[in-house]
Amino acid sequence: MSNVRKMLVVTAKDLRSEARAKEIAPPMVLFGLILVFLFTLNFPPGAGRAPVPGPVIGAVGSRELAGAFLWVSLLFAGILGFGRNAAVEREANRIEGLLLAPVDPAALFAGKALANFCYLWALEVVLFPVFIVLFDVPAHLLLPGVLPVALAANVGLAAAGTLFGAASQYVRARELVLPLLLFPIVLPLVLGAERLTASLLTGGGLGPQARWFILMGAFDLAISAIGAVAFEFVVNE
Amino acid sequence: MSRNPATAGSRRGIAVLTVLVALGMAVGLGAIFFWAPAANCLVPGNPGQPCVDARPDVIQHIFYVHVPVAWVAYLAFGVVLLGSVVYLKSGKRRWDNLAASSAEIGVLFTGLTLLSGMLWGRPRWGTWWTWDETLTLTFVLFLIYVGYLLFRSMASDPTRGARVAAVIGIVGFVDVPLVHFSMVWWRTLHPAEVVLNPAGPQLPTSELVTMLWMLGVITALYVLLMLLRMRLGRAADTLAELEAAGDEAPAEPAARVGTP
Repeated sequence: MSNVRKMLVVTAKDLRSEARAKEIAPPMVLFGLILVFLFTLNFPPGAGRAPVPGPVIGAVGSRELAGAFLWVSLLFAGILGFGRNAAVEREANRIEGLLLAPVDPAALFAGKALANFCYLWALEVVLFPVFIVLFDVPAHLLLPGVLPVALAANVGLAAAGTLFGAASQYVRARELVLPLLLFPIVLPLVLGAERLTASLLTGGGLGPQARWFILMGAFDLAISAIGAVAFEFVVNE
Repeated sequence: MSRNPATAGSRRGIAVLTVLVALGMAVGLGAIFFWAPAANCLVPGNPGQPCVDARPDVIQHIFYVHVPVAWVAYLAFGVVLLGSVVYLKSGKRRWDNLAASSAEIGVLFTGLTLLSGMLWGRPRWGTWWTWDETLTLTFVLFLIYVGYLLFRSMASDPTRGARVAAVIGIVGFVDVPLVHFSMVWWRTLHPAEVVLNPAGPQLPTSELVTMLWMLGVITALYVLLMLLRMRLGRAADTLAELEAAGDEAPAEPAARVGTP
């Protein structure tokens, strides 16, 4: 079996187990909804619909701020999923079975990262429309432009979340350690996604901010490569 | 232990280095306050030209500490990367000890960089903190390596903890250029309120010599702290080994105390 096949088998195993247990994606989506809702409470009514530059909060336009809220919500909800996805392997000692299987740790990492990648998309499929409705921003500005942004962000978030999710399983207070490790590391990615989304929402399109894609792509590449090489040092006994 | 010939040499080396660092620091402080004219360049000249309008300014003195401390902080995190990579390849404890020690001292020096920068920024910029790209990068580095230390202290199994920490040490350093670029681009959207003086004006000899001197002294301080911290790490390893051996084979009953 080729490594790509093995990776897909690991992903299929994760998704099948999730389809039965439903313990990762539903809490993630619900938490994301709660966060977007909480941020909406502090957002001036009608600010999303207002013409750009629109109401200004501090020195930041309100739609720019809305884009930042969206990505902070996605990051927080995402990390919940990364933690769960790694914890289920440890709790029933399933990780030992996976390590005994004739699968390269790199393929194991890629498979689990692909599962996290799918959970992030599931989260976003729900959150993007809800965000449009609750923040009242023009839908045609966000969609479909945000899809390549989400793609660039999801690859890196899933890879970093898989690596650090697994790493955080071997410490006390693991739920606490995961965000402390992950948030500063993924800063370039989240900042890029926020900048691109803000540019979309203020009507600028992706063009003027396109260089962020280079940075996000570089992050995706670096974290995926390190994750694939280093995963065995994290999970092996 | 104190008569152990194996450690006697390193002991003497550490003692000599301590004296040298203390002397160097004293000379450096003398140079900072009594020799180097710390001037605040109000109107910078063209690149390569001396400052057009410079006034004596006591606050500038802190730069002789701030710059070397910042340099050592970056050096320390580079050493963490080196130690982490070699540890993962070789599995030898001493490389992990090197990375862990350097991370601790790096966090200390990053904290000192932030602190000394803030002490300068308050009178000069009128604010303790501004979201300038360099400040933010240093702060993010601080957060990453504090997380690294936190992870180490909470690891349930030391060997696995060391391996995972090495992975974090590598990711953290690879992240540095990415965070740097994201900060530079991010700031360009909100023009900086504060324009830093370009480094154009040539430093007078006394300032240059003082800066290089302090750079040497602070780097030597880093080496000294590393030697001390790594010795501590080795002692902790030895203690853990002895305790593990004691658990496995309870020696003569006479050696055990406290059992009723």
